[in-house]
Amino acid sequence: MNTMRVSGISEIMSLVIMLVIIIVFMGQASPVFMTTRNLENMLLDISTVGILAVFTTLLMIGGGLDLSIGATLALCGVVIGALQTTLGILPAAGLALVVGALVGLLNGFLVTYVGINPLITTLGMLSIARGLAFVFSDGLTIPVFDNDGTQQAAYDVFTQFGEGQVLGIATPVFVMLLLFGIGLLILQFTAYGRAMYAMGGNAQASHLAGLAVRRYRMIAYTLSGLSAGLTAVMLTSRLYAADPRAAMGIELTVITSVVLGGISLAGGKGTLIGTALGVLVLSTLLNGMKLLSTSTDAQNIAQGIVLLLAVGLDQLRTRNINWSKWLRGSRLLPGAATPSKASASSGSD
Amino acid sequence: MQQTLPVSPPSNKVVQLGRWLRGERLTTLNLFVTFVIICIIFASQAQYFLTLENFVNIGRTLGVVGIVSIGMTLVLITGGVDISVGSVAALSGVITSILWLQSGVPLGFATLIGLAACTLVGFINGYLIAFVRINPLITTLASFSIVRGLAFVLSNGQTNQLNDDTFKLLGRGEIVGIPISLLLMIALYVAFFALMHFTQFGRNLYAIGGSPDASRLAGIPVRRHLLIVYTLSGFLAGLAGIIIASQLASSAPRAATGLEFTVIAAVVLGGTSLSGGKGSLIGTLVGVFILRVLDNGLVQTRVSSFYQDVISGAVLLLAVGFDQIRLKLTSSLGGKP
Amino acid sequence: MNTPLLEMQHIQKSFYGVKVLDDVSIDLAAGETLALLGENGAGKSTLIKILNGDYLRDDGEVLIDGKPVHFSEPRDAEAHGIRMIYQELHYAPELSVAENLLLGRLPRRPGALGWIVDWNLTRKQAQDALALLNVQIDPMTKMRDLSVVEREIIEIVKALSRHARIIVMDEPTAALTPPEVQQLFQIIRNLRERGVGIIYISHRLDEVFQIAQRVTVLRDGKHVGTRAIADVTHKALVHMMVGREIEERTQVRQELAAVQTGAPVLEVRNLSKRGAFEDISLKVAAGEIVGLFGLLGAGHNNLTQAIFGIERAERGTIYINGNAVEVRSPRDGKRAGIGFVPLDRKINGLVLGMSVRKNITLSNWRVLAPMGVFWHGQEMQHTRHWVDQLGIRMAGGIETHTRYLSGGNQQKVVLSRWLEANVRVLLLNEPTWGVDVGARSDIYDQLEALAAQGLAILMVSSDIDEVLTVSHRILTIYKGRLTGEFMQAQATQEKLLQAAAGGGA
Repeated sequence: MNTMRVSGISEIMSLVIMLVIIIVFMGQASPVFMTTRNLENMLLDISTVGILAVFTTLLMIGGGLDLSIGATLALCGVVIGALQTTLGILPAAGLALVVGALVGLLNGFLVTYVGINPLITTLGMLSIARGLAFVFSDGLTIPVFDNDGTQQAAYDVFTQFGEGQVLGIATPVFVMLLLFGIGLLILQFTAYGRAMYAMGGNAQASHLAGLAVRRYRMIAYTLSGLSAGLTAVMLTSRLYAADPRAAMGIELTVITSVVLGGISLAGGKGTLIGTALGVLVLSTLLNGMKLLSTSTDAQNIAQGIVLLLAVGLDQLRTRNINWSKWLRGSRLLPGAATPSKASASSGSD
Repeated sequence: MQQTLPVSPPSNKVVQLGRWLRGERLTTLNLFVTFVIICIIFASQAQYFLTLENFVNIGRTLGVVGIVSIGMTLVLITGGVDISVGSVAALSGVITSILWLQSGVPLGFATLIGLAACTLVGFINGYLIAFVRINPLITTLASFSIVRGLAFVLSNGQTNQLNDDTFKLLGRGEIVGIPISLLLMIALYVAFFALMHFTQFGRNLYAIGGSPDASRLAGIPVRRHLLIVYTLSGFLAGLAGIIIASQLASSAPRAATGLEFTVIAAVVLGGTSLSGGKGSLIGTLVGVFILRVLDNGLVQTRVSSFYQDVISGAVLLLAVGFDQIRLKLTSSLGGKP
Repeated sequence: MNTPLLEMQHIQKSFYGVKVLDDVSIDLAAGETLALLGENGAGKSTLIKILNGDYLRDDGEVLIDGKPVHFSEPRDAEAHGIRMIYQELHYAPELSVAENLLLGRLPRRPGALGWIVDWNLTRKQAQDALALLNVQIDPMTKMRDLSVVEREIIEIVKALSRHARIIVMDEPTAALTPPEVQQLFQIIRNLRERGVGIIYISHRLDEVFQIAQRVTVLRDGKHVGTRAIADVTHKALVHMMVGREIEERTQVRQELAAVQTGAPVLEVRNLSKRGAFEDISLKVAAGEIVGLFGLLGAGHNNLTQAIFGIERAERGTIYINGNAVEVRSPRDGKRAGIGFVPLDRKINGLVLGMSVRKNITLSNWRVLAPMGVFWHGQEMQHTRHWVDQLGIRMAGGIETHTRYLSGGNQQKVVLSRWLEANVRVLLLNEPTWGVDVGARSDIYDQLEALAAQGLAILMVSSDIDEVLTVSHRILTIYKGRLTGEFMQAQATQEKLLQAAAGGGA
């Protein structure tokens, strides 16, 4: 049983080694890579993915999945852009958070109470959210700035979210680090964190042990939506614009990072440290490629390959993942689970 | 002395009702009713909706989604998923045009090579899923990304004209007024329906989805079946891609973006379950129909194209949602685990 | 002297350096039923997996009809006529009985249309297979529409219909009622007459005495002995399996009969749920162990699930310590002070990927994590307390993942969880299902100790020996109604069986 622990550590080690290799390689390949400016930019770029990755990690440990985060991000951004004049920029930002949370809540409701498979639910929601983003913005990028000069003070505050600094670190980066820290504490020491591991490991047994599985699941999805809203605020602030096309494909980056870091699609496994490293490895790789002027498409190819390698190597190492298990919907109806779907071996020895 | 075992759940009304309510017949009925309602709504809002010309239009667009949906249905029945179909469809067009326009390969051959490439992608997907045992979602998510990227890289991001008359026939031609692509789709549906219901291979797919363990124990070569299924999915996606290129008379790396969503929506709408072991091509066909009619109707009633995504998503969630609720409410009626 | 049908000679097998089978040999004659006994971890499953081709042996020989064979995969074993019947059922729920029976080998149309499935012939072949056992299920029914018992029977029919020469049955009667067990035994006798050899694995020794000719006992990966069934006693077998004496519980039964109990902690009045149980009223007092005995489908499982909140009764009231409580979910059940130990602990009881500590404390976060944060020291303390009290054995301390524990220890973890949650009523569903003899006795002792401390225990069991051995009072249930109540002193096997089968109380 201590083999579990050992493989966990070696996963982390291999990620660290990968990171070091990438940094060294990129440092050699591009003179710009190791400059402070590039590193700062890189961290800023990472912040969006990083913040989303924290909440995605928590959700996925609990056995959930949210493919709609990119679309929700775009929608929340558009909300800010569309309502900045009527509501004022700060209330609009607040509303964006609410919208994000609501989308997450709706996802959670459909998965938990109606019982729709999370893949379908979040795919459908993705479509709806992205569509609404386009509807509310007429398909155009909305500039976010003080149109009539009356909200100077408010906008100054707003721009702090994306451009400001806290303790000498860019705000988005600071928020990301803070969230990682809080997330770590939550997973290790709190009931919520343990609930995620329990639910992800065996939702049925957790339910029968009296765990409020439904409630925790709703919270997890709501938080996922909220994270999209949060990153939307920061992104809009940094770019001075709300783009309905924003964050297309960010789900792939987030999921790749998270899976790279050791999160299992079936749930019940993984740590935030792994995720952090996964985010770092992938983003450093992509940043390096960008510096080497590789096209976005090549970067996408790279992402896909990294994902396959990450999971493939993991498979070769552990060889015991029940790959069809995760696709089952999140049914909480207790009673005899269909026996044939019980995990592999019979007998208890 | 042998006793007779208890008869299977007594055939009283409640139990039968329960079974019917949980059964596929009701799902198909639901779908049909939905379809009719949608048609009525659109017919009342747009005068050109119920015209023959419009139906032919719809028929023309059915082909692409319909064909890819066949592959997706099979994949879903085995308990997997393939979200790379859109990218693969784009790839076939891109490879065809590159070979023809830049390397001077005869168009016929170029098309075949494009198809072969897509089939190869499907094969690789299948291999990774069946033999390396990587989760299907992750595998096809990765290939979704890689193949799309390849399409862009190979074509340099360019859209290329494919102005050959014979080529355009596939997507735009008609026989006795029926679009060729539609005929091709129907032929494929008939063939695959026969495969699924009359051959061992097809029944095996249901078995694999229903219980990979039972199938393995029964000696069914599960991995081989999975390999074939994903290869088929790749092939069919490639075929659809050729049709798209033919219809647009051009190949674009951006083609078929979002196709995977439409296809999955159609298949799930049609009653195929994401957990595998259950589903029918007839249901899929109905699902495809509904979504295409929906799309067409939205255009006819001049709804902003931005709303189309919203409505597609909403329809999917509503349909699947209602189905789930129905299952939950009726699960206690007779003959239960 | 006839060549044995099957011989496994000097089998050796290790996993990651741990020796699981050490020079184990068994043999089976045609038409013989050989019982294979041993505690969990003794190596029975591994030996069987080598036989059926799931595992490769490290050393030793397998001979069929005297000729050495080598299986590199299950298909090879099947080709030699070896069939398995597992505890966990594997079937495709959406396919019909017929398709499941003929999985992968549906009959085809003759001649040129040879690639088309012949559905008529399929149905007929399925009917024929079902007729072997006189089973009256419509072969076109979907598996998901069958009851649990019926599915298991189909599983057995499936194995039988494939012309097996050697059938291995692993706890086949776990989910069967006594009459159905007898039916199975009849089939086994039929099979014997056809020369089929059967390896019968079970923890239920009384069944072994009824059905086996010889018995082989394994312990810790070694072959302890093989005896003719006539030459051995219950006690001797247990001794061979466990390596030590387990006391008979007759003494205990007398003590149980003499126990006085207190006021009712759990009371149920007129509890009804259409299709499951009807007008149930019962009481369980503090310090009392009430056994609920019934045939499968009698409704006792539903009843306990309704009391705990997994299902909801339609009419009637539940009282805890005199107060009416409404229980609509397991959370309500827990809050009301009720604990529920489910039948299938690996699926419904434990989070296998989590440690013993976390599993034990799973239901008491209110105390161990006030304000949502865990107090580490307190949690460790509480966990160690239960580990000590119940004697839970883990290879790596309380951080071991429960996946690696034996069945008996896993059950103890689930028990501990409810004790940690400080419940006053404990509902148990087949408490020693899949648990070996040594741990069983242990668990019975635990239950008695808990009752002595004032817990009210309601125990559902289809094992008549178990019910008789542990309960102060026994209730019988038939088709959703209580049919009898027996004090420990008056209860006998015959009376219980009669009442549970519908005979008057």
